[in-house]
Amino acid sequence: MARGADGGEGARVWQHVFLLPEYLKDASKKMKSGLVFVKLANPCSGEGAIYLINMCLPQLFEIKVFKEKNHSWFINESVQSGGLLHFATPVDPLFLLLHYLIKADKEGKFQPLDQVVMDDMFPDCILLLKLPELEKLLRHVTEEKEVDKKKYYKYSKEKTLKWLEKKVNQTVAALKTSKVNVSARVQSTAFFSGGQVSSDKDEDYVCYAHGLISDYIPKQLSDDLSKYLKLPEPPASVRNPPSKKAKLSDEPVNAKEDYTKFNSKDFKTVKKNSKMTAAQKALAKVDKSGMKSGSTKTEKGQVTADPRKALLLLLGLKTLPKGYIQLLLHFLENHQMPKEAF
Amino acid sequence: MDLSELERDNTGRCRLSSPVPPVCLKEPCVLGVDEAGRGPVLGPMVYAICYCPLSRLEDLEALKVADSKTLSESERDRLFAKMEEDGDFVGWALDVLSPNLISTSMLGRVKYNLNALSHDTATGLVQFALDQGVNVAQVFVDTVGLPETYQERLQQRFPGIEVTVKAKADALYPVVSAASICAKVARDQAVKNWKFVEKLQDLDTDYGSGYPNDPKTKAWLRKHVDPVFGFPQFVRFSWRTAQSILETEAEDVKWEDSETGDQEGPGKIKSYFSESPQTCLRLPHRYFQERGLESATVL
Amino acid sequence: MENSYEETIDKRRVHLRPDTLRDPAPASLHLLPCEVPVNRPTPVGRFFTPAIRLGSDGLEASFRGRSLRGEEVVVPPGFVGYVMTEEKAEVLVAKQDDHEREEQELEEPPEALERDCDRFMGATASFSSFTVWGLESIPGPDAKLRGALSWPSLAAAIHAQVPED
Repeated sequence: MARGADGGEGARVWQHVFLLPEYLKDASKKMKSGLVFVKLANPCSGEGAIYLINMCLPQLFEIKVFKEKNHSWFINESVQSGGLLHFATPVDPLFLLLHYLIKADKEGKFQPLDQVVMDDMFPDCILLLKLPELEKLLRHVTEEKEVDKKKYYKYSKEKTLKWLEKKVNQTVAALKTSKVNVSARVQSTAFFSGGQVSSDKDEDYVCYAHGLISDYIPKQLSDDLSKYLKLPEPPASVRNPPSKKAKLSDEPVNAKEDYTKFNSKDFKTVKKNSKMTAAQKALAKVDKSGMKSGSTKTEKGQVTADPRKALLLLLGLKTLPKGYIQLLLHFLENHQMPKEAF
Repeated sequence: MDLSELERDNTGRCRLSSPVPPVCLKEPCVLGVDEAGRGPVLGPMVYAICYCPLSRLEDLEALKVADSKTLSESERDRLFAKMEEDGDFVGWALDVLSPNLISTSMLGRVKYNLNALSHDTATGLVQFALDQGVNVAQVFVDTVGLPETYQERLQQRFPGIEVTVKAKADALYPVVSAASICAKVARDQAVKNWKFVEKLQDLDTDYGSGYPNDPKTKAWLRKHVDPVFGFPQFVRFSWRTAQSILETEAEDVKWEDSETGDQEGPGKIKSYFSESPQTCLRLPHRYFQERGLESATVL
Repeated sequence: MENSYEETIDKRRVHLRPDTLRDPAPASLHLLPCEVPVNRPTPVGRFFTPAIRLGSDGLEASFRGRSLRGEEVVVPPGFVGYVMTEEKAEVLVAKQDDHEREEQELEEPPEALERDCDRFMGATASFSSFTVWGLESIPGPDAKLRGALSWPSLAAAIHAQVPED
């Protein structure tokens, strides 16, 4: 390549090709600013992903990008490498909040939302708090208490699973109408134009919808949802039950950070969150009896933020890779690899 | 020669032909096959057939047709005009293969080399004569590649016809000479009046002979190279001369079937994990994988 | 290079100028089945578009001596295609002055959203369809892209609020 990308001339601007909902165009009549791309924690991976917030409606959009090797755009009288096509589609903000609620649940207590939704890595998560009808949304996934006119929330796995079941159901309905090939066996052909789709079993649809929803929730919750929906356990996980260590590493699966870093950060949040407000202390004392037993059960299954356990996790570093590998195997058997991979 | 059909669309293949002389429908005919413009990096390649009754072969020879390469352009034009005058016993047909057709064939996923393209075009023209009702008894062909294998293939394809494939057939058999004149006249005219598909600025039509070793042709190629598009479709991209200019003067365009250093296929699964430890361990659901969709992480 | 870049922008917001979405000029887009490793002006209208032909199985063109087959695809219903570019630093300064003047008109104080280090983007063109090209064969209904274009309708179902009990 003789004349590379660095030839000068100034006009070499990166052009992003986007598909945006039409109504954003209408909203633009009313506002001078308020459309912002921010980086937030992807609730599935915990890693950063780009979201679009429309502060006027307000509404949250996720950005999916179509990316295929060896593609480029001609855009009018220019060429743009990469051939990316971005889709901004509305996303249920509850998925993103859930990520923080589950994290905060390690504290095991009711907390105000602004204490739950905070993130050193993705500080813009506080913008989520500006979204409308959060209280109504949160009812799907939390127990709430009101003290001195302030709302306190606590993650409820029981309620969350019910909510997710509804999500799965509405996804199944959409999959059926859009004729997506959900068959577990036929993997070589991505899309059918008709006919064969009808032969897909209902269970295949539920499995597929569960898989799609799982892209918006943490792994552990995905597994719990699978059990809740009584989906057949993939044979792989019977042969290879994830070890306790692997379970522990629910969080460290986030491969972006090394463990030491993760754990030290975890210490920090523990410290920060341990400063309870007076109201919280009162809550912690008062109402335990009235809470549903389900939520206490949940706590046991979760990683607690006990500093001693975190230390154990640190000490267990040597053995971790094994669990890591098992997790990986477990994951590989449950998720389809791209067909090109084989 | 009326090449207006070619001028309307010169991105593909174009067949032109004379009317079939009625005598050729009845009497056994001899048919010659030759080509022009096989070597040049510019312009079309033209395949031509010329035929006449065996009984009138002497009349064709009387025109003093000869290997087109030994004739000047004006002599070729004059001879072609004479053959047109003798349309009562001489017929011809030709296939103009645009440089774009040559490029896209030779650079295809399944490579279609120039010899195969030539053989198939020649075969197609003989078949065209037969389809028009020409009573073909003998075929003489100037060879492309090994004459023995080419002859065998043609003979198999046309069992009722006596096929002769020879090197320098255009000098040996008048009917092949006549075909070579038809091809060369068409090729020269096509190149001279080439309608560029592209809307080029400062187009220089002084492109020399079009042969890769012609300094004028080389200079023309260098002048008209575009870093993104390469050359106008007038250029045969599949020629080494063109490719080597692109390698130095143009962007390195990669296709899914481009030969690259990095491993595809089984290597890919590894790359998800070992190559970039930063990637998320959980792959997106197959719905997204099958559609090339992933969550955007940069903007 | 990309990684360090990514790190520095992590916490920077990218503002999309809403007014640029209103009526940007229509753009003609072609998605090519090859990687051209540059971003820059190039004479598409002189080299590429005049050579497009309508063949028996859709659009025909060629690029770099390779044969392309194409088809027109429309953006999903309810969506608009935009081409967006980031504003250059100079433009940004001018626009910020603009904003200071208009501050009182804004519903929200600008400091709530816009910070000094933030980036700004605007739509430069819009489209409602584009041409997708395949190498030697038409992309067709099985193409990944065609599948991707069905994402917004499924996304709407996944992310719709669930019915109350």
